[in-house]
Amino acid sequence: MIPIIGIMVVLALFPVIGVPRVWLLYLFLFYIYLAMANMWNLLAGYSGLISLCPAAFIGLAGYTMTVMTWLGFPYYVGIIPGGIVAALFAVLISIPVFRMKGIYFAIGTLVVPEILRFVFLLWRPVGGALDGGGRGYTVLGVAEVPQSQTYWFALAIGIVSILVMRYILRSKLGSGLAAIRDNDSTAACCGVNVFKLKLYSFVIAAFVTGIAGAIFYIYQGFIEPVSAFSIQWLITIMLATVIGGEGTEEGPIVGTIIVVFLYFLLARYAEISLIIQGIILVIIMLLAPKGILGFLHNFHRLVPASLKVIGNSLKTTK
Amino acid sequence: MSVLADLATPIVMGILLGGLYAVIALGLSLIFGVVKEINIAHGDLVILGSYFGYVAMSVVGIDPILSLIVGIPLLFGIGFGIQKYLLNRAFKISMDATLIIAFGISIILQNIFQLIWTPMCRGLTTSYALESFSAGPISVPLVYLLDFIVAIIVMLFLREFLRRTYLGMAIRAAAQDWRAAHLMGINTNQVFALTFGIATALAAIAGIFLGLTFPFTPVSGMSFLIIALGVVVLGGLGSIAGTFIGGIAFGLAQTLGGHFFGLAAQMLVAYTMVLVVLAVIPRGIFGR
Repeated sequence: MIPIIGIMVVLALFPVIGVPRVWLLYLFLFYIYLAMANMWNLLAGYSGLISLCPAAFIGLAGYTMTVMTWLGFPYYVGIIPGGIVAALFAVLISIPVFRMKGIYFAIGTLVVPEILRFVFLLWRPVGGALDGGGRGYTVLGVAEVPQSQTYWFALAIGIVSILVMRYILRSKLGSGLAAIRDNDSTAACCGVNVFKLKLYSFVIAAFVTGIAGAIFYIYQGFIEPVSAFSIQWLITIMLATVIGGEGTEEGPIVGTIIVVFLYFLLARYAEISLIIQGIILVIIMLLAPKGILGFLHNFHRLVPASLKVIGNSLKTTK
Repeated sequence: MSVLADLATPIVMGILLGGLYAVIALGLSLIFGVVKEINIAHGDLVILGSYFGYVAMSVVGIDPILSLIVGIPLLFGIGFGIQKYLLNRAFKISMDATLIIAFGISIILQNIFQLIWTPMCRGLTTSYALESFSAGPISVPLVYLLDFIVAIIVMLFLREFLRRTYLGMAIRAAAQDWRAAHLMGINTNQVFALTFGIATALAAIAGIFLGLTFPFTPVSGMSFLIIALGVVVLGGLGSIAGTFIGGIAFGLAQTLGGHFFGLAAQMLVAYTMVLVVLAVIPRGIFGR
């Protein structure tokens, strides 16, 4: 416990002790993606819900926060309402979407961000019509916000996401979700209220993902429908979770480190970067479907065993 | 009376457009019905067909429909390879793995398109692509009629193929119960790969006619995938007739939506219908 708190304190002090600004940016993105990856892991790895709609929650929360700045509130006031709007939306779409089983659920969630993108292309909640097209908003009042503040918000949500995962996985909700993931009919027979538990994890995931998204848009300073609801969010989050290990607690952490690293390594070569991400996704799923952590879990059993075999064969040849 | 005449054009266009959507969805339906996979990359494979036609037109100078002579076998091979080497393996791992791998393939395809052909809109603008024909008070673009005719031809072809050839019957057997088919001596892995190949060949045809009808970009695949998913679910798995009806339903939804709510909203109407269809009838009209 102590080393972890130590790490957290050190990370929190980074902006103060004069660490290079680029590091702060890397870490900022790391915390944001970590929060989102943890939530995706909660749904896909632990609840058996492959949700293809994180962008819906991210975009909605981002828009809520932005609209609130247009209504006169300072930017930080809009963060929690952003999460709440995302959570309420999750409740709303759970009605049609949870009726769909397995693969249909995935397709249903795929459509949702696309619908929202069209909605926000056509609808302007505040402000007058923009001439010359363009459907975005600038986030008011964030130009003077120091980078350290957005950094701390991001660090906070990153830590919160890890704590949420810890708490849920060790609770009754966690056991119920594991049962559902393995076989939801059997879980239902054992008295698990499948719909309620799926709804809980869906709403929690929406809330945390939304907040992470809202914080991201504070940093970015503007929001527009195409990128807010873009499939790119899903690609990054899915890759982070899958590389690290879907269904493991530490998996998203490892995966997000790799994804952010790749992101900056290949930032100049945008399309190639994405092609490589796609290739990695395919290769990882074929060779190490449980991700790096899954591979390591098996590996540390293989190593002592293989050493023993080598030792025995050496003895006999003597 | 004038309301009816007003509606006539969108209705006719919707039905004809439905033909295109049916062809696009046909490959998806085949894979879903036989291999029981949702091929998320299908939309992008269709666009691959469109880009192939584009290359045929702009680089080699052949009419895109003629280019299908090469296009169909080419995409068949690609589809066969994908199923045989990637997805057959993924199948053994888990259902989730196939979804994620198909997603990975989709990303790879989209970004290859972006790399080679830039995000600019492209279209297969042949001389006949811009003509329209009139019947009475209605005037529709010629390509819409072509789409519809092609849809009927392709569907008849597919139906006869599935009914009369050995491979067709093997495919239907594998679709009904692959273990039983396996026990009967059918090499199910091979059949799955061939099915995926056929589906991708269908995507090649769909891609050419899509390119003739609409402009496309590297990311268009997703939009048509969503509609194709709606068509497949509405029409029922593995039912050719159902896919045709589903296609028409979505074509009509789009054109009538555009008529009543404005052009910007037409895709919104179509997508909302997909969501409704998924929620209400996962088994489809003609499904098993």
